[in-house]
Amino acid sequence: MRGLVLAAGAFALLVLASAVVLRVYPGNKEFKVFLGAFVGSVVLYAGGFWLLPADLGFIPPAWQESSPAVDLGNGLLILVLVFHGYWCFAYFSCLSPSMSVMVALRQRGSGGMTESEALAIQGSDEPVNLIFRRRLPKLLKGGYVSEEDGAYRLLARGERVASLGSFLKRLINAQVGA
Amino acid sequence: MTLWLVVQGIVFHAAAPRKAFSSMLGWFAPTIPLYLVLYWVTPANLGVLSDGFVGVDWRLGLLNGLTIHVLLFLTAGLFYSHADRSITVRLLIELSRAPRQRLTLAQMQERCGVEVLMQDRLDIMVRNGFLASRGSRLVLTPKGWIGGSVGLVARRVFRMKAL
Repeated sequence: MRGLVLAAGAFALLVLASAVVLRVYPGNKEFKVFLGAFVGSVVLYAGGFWLLPADLGFIPPAWQESSPAVDLGNGLLILVLVFHGYWCFAYFSCLSPSMSVMVALRQRGSGGMTESEALAIQGSDEPVNLIFRRRLPKLLKGGYVSEEDGAYRLLARGERVASLGSFLKRLINAQVGA
Repeated sequence: MTLWLVVQGIVFHAAAPRKAFSSMLGWFAPTIPLYLVLYWVTPANLGVLSDGFVGVDWRLGLLNGLTIHVLLFLTAGLFYSHADRSITVRLLIELSRAPRQRLTLAQMQERCGVEVLMQDRLDIMVRNGFLASRGSRLVLTPKGWIGGSVGLVARRVFRMKAL
């Protein structure tokens, strides 16, 4: 029980810290903010587990785990799983093209939009649309692709990710080129 | 969870459901009563666990196991989403399949650009009941309105930038 309570507390702080930092973070590598907040929450969780009493001052004896190691591991597992969900939720909510359409429609009210207006949200009428403007620089900087003679070439690191992606798509029977 | 993963894997390959998440949810739902029944009929130590792994209060053990079971399912759903929908992975796969693994920007935009991608996404959102077609216009369904509202609040909280 101690692990669960501390994991809940650490996660609440993680959400608060990441939301505050993202408001002032100037770059576009938000994953660093999330990972930093996660590392901080794990340190807080482990520190709290180490320093605070086994009953945290309010847990009845019947709800205390007999093995501290199991309690620690259980809380950490839940913290990791919830963090992963939170991270994905934040990215999906803020950056997903599908969510962008729903948010734009929500702001417009009942009028709706045409398909071409939905495409324009992602900069379809610009020379390089938003989807590429966000991802290509990251792929270049991360060493996944290189730019040469006006074209992009896949590097070994990118090839490994592509192979893994193809394998995962086959695993779930998704279209490899989709 | 393992049983569900095996069954879901078979379903994906045998039936290729059009509504993947509905299928996952549909096949996962029966595992909840199954878990409760197994928790009820099996001994606390499952015949193999040491005392340190046996919880003091059965209610806490039940709730804890259920929480982890649901969280693992949600994680599996996100894993599916990463594998099926990731735009970056799709870009890299397109590059890996191209001659000499090279594509110009125009070729990339033609193969997995915003038109191709957004058409896929709009179709999926209509199929999954988030959007509805009204003449030539797309409108939110009640489900889509909730999704859009959640996204709106999340964007105000996180303020992550598209660029």
